Amino acid sequence: MEKVSGIRDPTRGRMAGQERRIDDTILIREAQRGNRGAFEELVRHYDQAVLRLALHLTGTEHDAQDVYQDAFLKAYKNIGSFRFECSFYTWIYRIVTNLCLDHLRKKTVRKEDAPVVKDGSGGEYDLLDQVPDGRAGANPERDLMRRQLGARISGALEKLTPRERMVFELKHYHGLKLRTVGEILHTTEETAKNTLFRATQKLRGQLADMR
Amino acid sequence: MKCEWVRENITLQVYGELADDARHELEQHIARCADCATELKVEQEFHALLSQERAAEPTANLLAASRMKLQEALETAEPGGFWRRLTFDPANWLRQVRFSPTLASAILILGFAGGLGTSYKVFGHPASGVATGTAPAATESSITGIQSVTQEPGTNQIAIKYDTVSTLETQGSLNDQRIQQLLLFAARNNYNSGVRMDSVDLLTKKPDVSQVRDALIYALRYDTNPGVRLKALDGLGGFVKDDVHVRDAVLEALVNDSNPGVRTEALRWIEPVKADGSVRGVLMTLAAKDQSQYIKSQARTMLAQLPEID
Repeated sequence: MEKVSGIRDPTRGRMAGQERRIDDTILIREAQRGNRGAFEELVRHYDQAVLRLALHLTGTEHDAQDVYQDAFLKAYKNIGSFRFECSFYTWIYRIVTNLCLDHLRKKTVRKEDAPVVKDGSGGEYDLLDQVPDGRAGANPERDLMRRQLGARISGALEKLTPRERMVFELKHYHGLKLRTVGEILHTTEETAKNTLFRATQKLRGQLADMR
Repeated sequence: MKCEWVRENITLQVYGELADDARHELEQHIARCADCATELKVEQEFHALLSQERAAEPTANLLAASRMKLQEALETAEPGGFWRRLTFDPANWLRQVRFSPTLASAILILGFAGGLGTSYKVFGHPASGVATGTAPAATESSITGIQSVTQEPGTNQIAIKYDTVSTLETQGSLNDQRIQQLLLFAARNNYNSGVRMDSVDLLTKKPDVSQVRDALIYALRYDTNPGVRLKALDGLGGFVKDDVHVRDAVLEALVNDSNPGVRTEALRWIEPVKADGSVRGVLMTLAAKDQSQYIKSQARTMLAQLPEID
């Protein structure tokens, strides 16, 4: 086998993408004929990215797992109607983002339950406050700062509208092109650009004191 | 001249989303305009600040568990294959006929007539307005949520309010199959962590039932609330010796749980089986490199108490 070391072939990434697409096409056709193994193979091509997106958007492993499961089950049930008008990647991301948007919309109505319990006298206290955190890292100060930054960013992200959050998430954390983001969210690239601009302006306002 | 245009496009520049000609124009302008150059610097610094917080990668455990759960669900799911396209799909058919006013009117009239017929029957045989005593046995698919779980003080009676189409209430002892079924459902599916906590608490009184143990293992592995996980752990602890699934779940909590309290409790429960090969392996890992000093020192103490293996 030919070994190319140290030289980066610029066509390689594109060819890998094309190979993946051909690969997906075969798997999709098989899955449409009822081959479950082919569908499971297809799942493995995308499920890590799907789970990562769901995990970051929902904030809990439990909810991320639910979104993951619902997305792929929906894809399985509707694979027969997939017409190759877009890539499977765009299609599955469209399903996942719709489920995540539903989740984000519900979340704005129903705030996540804090682990609050009642003591003997009926007063409420946060259970987490009672548990000593013995897992400080090697540099507790830096660790604390990192956690504070993370908490501030998460708080600022939660103040965005679900759609702004989704566009920002797909662009900033997943590195998707805004054209693809537009396709996924059934909108134009121009709208995706405007939404990204609005989201970053809001975030800058929220985190102004951290710069 | 175009400071405003530049400011609107700086975000796109930072994200590499500007077309080549626009990028060139923006760079030319920034070379001449100090204010816009400062704005670009601020935007770049902000981008760098946000990039310090990376999206967490799902753990291998979470990915594996998700794949397993999906595989189980696919076993029973119907694929949307080629033949499905040939079968009659009423929803699709309705979508197609919605633009056909005559047919739509006919369906409306038919529906109206059908509705009249149905209401005639209802008035003919009035249903009792209030359900008294016991509610009909609820199947899992008909339950939409558990509202509350309460136990009468000093009795073994548990009252559970749960939603189907409307909210119903059922009562019974913990030995009652319906009560157990609802508690199992609440432990796994309820949004309200208080209800999950109450359900898991009650289920810990029946850990000898294998379905209950499975629900407790599920809660220990996946519940987002550390209080619920602690309760589940308490219910399972006594089975660490005899049930290998319980032992695995407790070891998993000891290694992976995000809450130090749950990990400490898990460590306490595996004490009686510390000589077991798998437990010993976990203890050695914890003793060598756990982030918590307490867990590390406890693991070392437990290992020191074990006989040497030649």
